[in-house]
Amino acid sequence: MDIKKVLDEATKELISCEDEQSIHFLRVKYLGKKGLITDLLKTLKDLTDNEKKEFGSSVNIAKENLLNQISVKSEQIRKNKINEKLSQESIEITFPSPNLSLGKIHPISKTFTEVIDIFGNMGFAVAEGPDIETDFNNFTALNIPEDHPAREMQDTFYLEEKDQEGKPFVLRTHTSPVQIRTMNENQPPIKIIAPGRTYRCDSDSTHSPMFHQVEGLLINDSANMGHLKGTLVNFCKDFFQINDLKTRFRPSYFPFTEPSAEMDIAYSVVDNQIKLGEGDKWLEILGCGMVNPKVLDNCKIDSSKYQGYAFGIGLDRITMLKYGLTDIRSFFNGNFNWLDENGFGLGRF
Amino acid sequence: MKFTYSWLSEHLDTKLSPEEIAETLTNIGLEVENFIDFSKTHSHFVVATIKDFKKHPNADRLNLCTVDDGSKQYQVVCGASNVKKDLKGIFAKEGQYIPGIDLKLKKGKIRGETSEGMMLSEKELGLSDEHEGIIELKKDIPNGTDAVQALNLNDPVYEIGITPNRGDCLSVRGIARDLAAKGCGKLIDQKINSIENKSANKSPIEWKIKKDSNSCEFVVGRHFTNVNNTKSPDWLVKRLSSIGLRPINALVDITNFITIDQGRPLHVFDADKIHGDLTIRLANKDESLEALDNKKYTLSSLNTVISDEKNVLAIAGIIGGTTSGCDESTKNVFLEVAIFNPSMTAKSGRSLNISSDARQRFERGIDKSFVIQGLDYASFLILKYCGGEPSKSTDFGVINHSEKKITYHFKKFEKIIGFIIDYKTQIKYLKSLGFILNNENEKSCTVKVPSWRNDIEAEIDLIEEIVRIHGFEHIKEVKVTTSNEEQTIINQSISNKMHNIYNRLRKILASKDYREVVSFSFHSENNHHDLGGSNVLKVSNAISEDHGYMRNTMIGNHLNIIENNRKKGFENQSIFEIGPIYNDISSQQNIISMMISNNKKFNKVFSNGSFEFYDLTNQISLLFKELNFDIRQFKINRSSSEIFHPGRAAELHQGKKIVARYGSIHPELTQKYTKDLKVFAAEIYLDNLPIEAMSLYKKSKSFESSFPFSEKDFSFIFNKDQNLFEVYKALLAIDKKLIHEVEFFDQFYSKEIGEGNKSIAFRIKIQSKDKTLGEKELDEIYNKVISIITDKFNAQIRN
Repeated sequence: MDIKKVLDEATKELISCEDEQSIHFLRVKYLGKKGLITDLLKTLKDLTDNEKKEFGSSVNIAKENLLNQISVKSEQIRKNKINEKLSQESIEITFPSPNLSLGKIHPISKTFTEVIDIFGNMGFAVAEGPDIETDFNNFTALNIPEDHPAREMQDTFYLEEKDQEGKPFVLRTHTSPVQIRTMNENQPPIKIIAPGRTYRCDSDSTHSPMFHQVEGLLINDSANMGHLKGTLVNFCKDFFQINDLKTRFRPSYFPFTEPSAEMDIAYSVVDNQIKLGEGDKWLEILGCGMVNPKVLDNCKIDSSKYQGYAFGIGLDRITMLKYGLTDIRSFFNGNFNWLDENGFGLGRF
Repeated sequence: MKFTYSWLSEHLDTKLSPEEIAETLTNIGLEVENFIDFSKTHSHFVVATIKDFKKHPNADRLNLCTVDDGSKQYQVVCGASNVKKDLKGIFAKEGQYIPGIDLKLKKGKIRGETSEGMMLSEKELGLSDEHEGIIELKKDIPNGTDAVQALNLNDPVYEIGITPNRGDCLSVRGIARDLAAKGCGKLIDQKINSIENKSANKSPIEWKIKKDSNSCEFVVGRHFTNVNNTKSPDWLVKRLSSIGLRPINALVDITNFITIDQGRPLHVFDADKIHGDLTIRLANKDESLEALDNKKYTLSSLNTVISDEKNVLAIAGIIGGTTSGCDESTKNVFLEVAIFNPSMTAKSGRSLNISSDARQRFERGIDKSFVIQGLDYASFLILKYCGGEPSKSTDFGVINHSEKKITYHFKKFEKIIGFIIDYKTQIKYLKSLGFILNNENEKSCTVKVPSWRNDIEAEIDLIEEIVRIHGFEHIKEVKVTTSNEEQTIINQSISNKMHNIYNRLRKILASKDYREVVSFSFHSENNHHDLGGSNVLKVSNAISEDHGYMRNTMIGNHLNIIENNRKKGFENQSIFEIGPIYNDISSQQNIISMMISNNKKFNKVFSNGSFEFYDLTNQISLLFKELNFDIRQFKINRSSSEIFHPGRAAELHQGKKIVARYGSIHPELTQKYTKDLKVFAAEIYLDNLPIEAMSLYKKSKSFESSFPFSEKDFSFIFNKDQNLFEVYKALLAIDKKLIHEVEFFDQFYSKEIGEGNKSIAFRIKIQSKDKTLGEKELDEIYNKVISIITDKFNAQIRN
């Protein structure tokens, strides 16, 4: 039989094969033990050496050729089969996701963390005290006796319950009582900050009955007002991330420090937005001073040997300034719209 | 404290501009809170006349005015009730900024009629709150004159915040003295002549101070007959109005003027309304006074009063009474000048909640050397402007001139402030402030404190004065760094560690879609009652009922937050707060409180089912895992708190301490607070957990083996009440080397297994570090599991 004719027929049949099974039959029909091409090889023995060589080679080429075609065809069938399966698995990829409600961390937590870090880098450890305080720790020990006009500077919350002296407990009006607690329990050197909740009966867009402060206290044998200024200027530069921040120190008065100072940072208003750090307007951001020797004496620390400084910063206030927030009340009412806009996602915390 | 530049100039001869004065005041600790210079902002408004007016065709209460500013006529729509022909007022053209109402005038139509400007009221000019009508000026001022000139606005006004220590600067004189010390000019001498010898008459009214308190050490008075109490002279009216004080009549205005000018409060009584002599004493319990602020005050023994033989006439050092006040019919007057005790005045004023100019000054302490001079100054002005016949003065008590002397060491300045000022300069500053120095040498001096500086007590106060005058801007910034010792303290600080722990938890919760809230430390009386708070936590002067108690849990606040956000349309809510709760007065602890309301997952595509108790269990386990605890190692029991659903809430304990409680909020509470929205809450009591364990960076090493593991599922029937945490612990204890994980994966209840029972399925993972376990070894463990669970828990293995 003519080898070319056989191969042509096989190729034709292969084209019409549509599955693995028909390919298998085709393979048996042509290349099986009794297949048509195998049969042709069996006729070799009847030929001369020259004929053998020529015919054998042409049959082998045809065989290779067919095997090759079969392999291509089966791969094609296999692919078609997978594609058909995958196309059946197709899903709607344009379905929109609902609004993302990713978690948020409160801006005041961010500020707490930064404050602890920045002062930590200057060697201040965190200390804490209770929110419900005695009149003595909140006022008297801080050189604010009962009839002192300075008590009018702060609107105090009182509890109905009275302390050992018969005076009602107060909600601390500042974090300064932590100074007293720390000095009562430790002798110098002392180097602490005390962030926490503070309370005054006042409520409007810049005052909240509860707010946050951080107290700072450093007592040793030589800390002076230059150290105080250095500490606070450094803090403000770090916190507000402004290297050439313009600041101003000016005299003020607090009964527990002498001399006392307030620190302002410069700002300007550009397109109705407050720009911090430069300009000819000033924003008050903290109060501070050298610890009054009377306070040291009240805490049984020898004021002829030790001296130091203290400061108090409103944490909500500096948070508002840093992020351009305008209403302190929104810090505390749990409004999700506000939290989603101003809170910190994990990546930014 | 308010004053003007021209007023200050009466006491201070200065070359500085108003702006420079303002800057200096702040720099020496007299903080300028407000500086108003109308000459800068009001000069573009001009005087104009209403030539004619007619009713607005479309609005009853408006008029169409023809306004002439001297160069042009304008049509102006005006609603003021005092509009009339030929009225002269202040006119603002379109495009100008109106300060009192924060508005830029635009040309436009009002009800269909063009308006090219505005006739202004005092309020619109920002001069006062008066907005009844437009300003009416005298007819002789020419149109086109600028408003600064027409209204005498060329005197800049300062408002400064005086700190409680500086009573001496509650006077224009005192402020001038401080500025002079700073080198801003010369303090102008003031000479006050005594009139004591001008009269031989004895005062018909005499003083007595009752010895019932130390509220008054000295009082002096003078009687005047036949005065003519008219309107004050123009200069005085102008002085008082310029700082917003309402002129009343000459006698009253003179006392108000001396209060502001000299910081010396005094009082005038209509002598004809005084019965007999005057006594300074404590008030009796049932006495009351109708005061000059037109309020009636009920007095107590906290109040010192001035009374005649019948009635209380004044609250000493605070406010006078209406019955003995001076008006224009007053013919005879009695002047009072006293020294009232600062702390008694403070107590008295606070008890009645009156804050007056007099109180402000007495409670800070007045200048005791300016009592007789105060009397003389007031007498001089009364005689000059009201006429009349003065009496000799009459007094009671003794002025206690306690002279304060401080030994001051110049070197101390550098020690406290950080830089050197030579002793001569220090002396110069002290002297400029009125301190008198003795025994001066290079090292020290003795300093006598001037009578007006009640705040100066010790060396440190002198240092403060020197640096204040020298200028805080000279203080050098010194960098503060950390030492190794300090870093060790920080690393070991419990508070530092806790803040790190809080932040780890914050991150985990944020990653689980929780929003962090910060709510008040208060909650409402209702919350406190419903959530089992203690009565001792009541705030006596709460800002509102919603903040009446210190919270014993955050659940009340959080329910409100959930409800408020639900109203805004947020359905899936998870919140947390890390902060304090208060168990009683002296027991405050920081906890983490979570609340979840997540049961309305309407989105069928993205939903993974509604949030249920076991989801909460999972999250609590996760948080404890972050804190290096396996919650299955805690003791667990049902929570008996009434806050929670009795069947769906758990409490975890370690030893005797509760470490967490969590579950479904009791339906009665959700009915009350969240309109039946299903809510879950959890509280973790971080302070009850050992901080060392929570702070560890690495907990025990995880198990790793290269040999194959085997898993085997078991199913047992237990009593319904069986605590599965106990089963878990027992399983782990069977072979700590080989049993590494137990996962409970199914539960099943049916009549077939008995109503008092439950069927529980768990999978155990077994693996050895040393070898592949054979069937025999595995069977051994499986049998152990079966026998131990069966025996220990009276359970039954299922097929």
